Amino acid sequence: MNFKFQISNHILAGIVIVIMCVMYSGIASAELTVNANHDYIPIDFFYHGSTVSVSGLSDAGTDLIIKITAPDGHEALNQKGKAAGFLWMNLGTLKFEHAPNLYFIHGTKKPEEILNAENMNKYIIGYPSMNKHIEITPVSNDEERTKWFNEFIRYKEASRLYTASSGQIKTTNENGMQKYYIQTDWPYQAPPGEYLVTVYAVKNKKVVEKAEAKVTVEQAGIVKALSGMAKNNGALYGIISIIAALGVGFGVGMIFGKDGGAH
Amino acid sequence: MYLYLPVALTSINILIPVGLGLAVGLLSGLFGVGGGFLMTPLLIMFGIPSTVAAATDSTQIVAASTSGTYAHWKVGNVDFKMGLHLLVGGFVGGLLGVQSIKILRAMGNADFVIKMTYVLMLGIVGTYMFIESIQSMRNKKVEESKPEKKSGFSRFLKSLPFQTHYEKSGVTHSVLVPAIFGGFVGILAAVMGVGGGFLMVPVMVYILRMPMHVVVGTSLFQILFNCIEVTFLQAYTNHNVDFILAVLLLLGSTVGAQVGAVFGRKLKGEQLKVILAVIVLVVTVKIIFELTLTPSLLLSQAGGH
Repeated sequence: MNFKFQISNHILAGIVIVIMCVMYSGIASAELTVNANHDYIPIDFFYHGSTVSVSGLSDAGTDLIIKITAPDGHEALNQKGKAAGFLWMNLGTLKFEHAPNLYFIHGTKKPEEILNAENMNKYIIGYPSMNKHIEITPVSNDEERTKWFNEFIRYKEASRLYTASSGQIKTTNENGMQKYYIQTDWPYQAPPGEYLVTVYAVKNKKVVEKAEAKVTVEQAGIVKALSGMAKNNGALYGIISIIAALGVGFGVGMIFGKDGGAH
Repeated sequence: MYLYLPVALTSINILIPVGLGLAVGLLSGLFGVGGGFLMTPLLIMFGIPSTVAAATDSTQIVAASTSGTYAHWKVGNVDFKMGLHLLVGGFVGGLLGVQSIKILRAMGNADFVIKMTYVLMLGIVGTYMFIESIQSMRNKKVEESKPEKKSGFSRFLKSLPFQTHYEKSGVTHSVLVPAIFGGFVGILAAVMGVGGGFLMVPVMVYILRMPMHVVVGTSLFQILFNCIEVTFLQAYTNHNVDFILAVLLLLGSTVGAQVGAVFGRKLKGEQLKVILAVIVLVVTVKIIFELTLTPSLLLSQAGGH
């Protein structure tokens, strides 16, 4: 009886181990790492954008999605339409709530091929999930909403602040692990702020692990001084601008006058 | 070489603003216009936010009009008395115009009114100047032999009180005339978001009957003070003046204004009017195209026209 009980215990333990192994096969080992080469981008006088490369290690055979975003924000944009049936002009303002100012999404494959809809919406991966996340007002129906969401993406892509790509993440296998790497252009249009880099490891249509890094973009030197003065001391900034303009105007006038140009 | 603009929050090749400044400064020195109606849309086209473009443009106009006024003053082409009277009217008109825009924005049809005002004013002024200048170039000899015929309108102007002689311009008007027309231009300029030089020049030529060369210098003098006021208000209330962009623009525009003043003296008044009329008409056609062709993007940054 006791022997039988011991055997059944061993069988039970074996079943539990097998079940755990089966479950484990759907989860990446906790090896996902992320590193952004530029975690601090200073905006100085000669700044014309930068590059950010994201690299790290993941479990072999996992698909990856790399998302770089600004925090959710609010944006008001002029909405063009036809007035009097044929004249294109601004007809009003559309407000976009929960819209990040910057949104880059890169995948080893297209997100919709490797992730289920539930996970895409949960982690806001891809433009369709962004469509569900952003609030647009005022719109009268879903059709109109979709139209203005698509226009919003086109506007953001034209400003180089939104981009989506697949197949551009380079992966190599090393010692049973997968090394990944991608380099993206960092647009000068991206304003100062803190940006979040999130890498998602994907298996069986689900996010199994994620890792995060930060990129801080900050004004520095003369740019910071002038921007601060314009915001915090507008009167002095205005007077300095006027004096400088008058000085240059008179200066050039006198130089040309001396050379005989003005006579 | 690229420079980062701290208020516009964008990077720009320095050749673009310097080149634009040079071109628009040339027009400023030639015709006595600030060039806002050309410069602001050009800056927006090169990626400068519309609010920053309009505010910073006024700063560079301060430099270009200082340079131009100085050049014209040296050769005696500025009527300070007329300029001051126009300025008083323009200042009051500007305040009224700003209030009108506020009311129109609240009613939700500001953009329609602004765009239509642009097309109508530019179209009417450009067409009238073009036809009149061509006719007067053809008929100059015939008209010179005829005594000047006074219209009912000019008789009405002469009947107004406070008549005064403007020595530099060689004309006599009531002080109310430049003040009222200055006010009218001030309202339109505020509605359209421009300095108003291209409207003020025709008013001086056709209504005040001032000689073209004095018109250019006096218009620049008046624009200078308008733009000083606008620059200060934009910097103080809206924080939209980009100093670096303004410096790059004015490096070009001050030189351009001087070159324009030199060329201007080599051209005849009628020739100047024809060229300005053609530029105004080209801008009108461009705006009509923008209004009728489907834009590439249906969303744009809020705040501009």
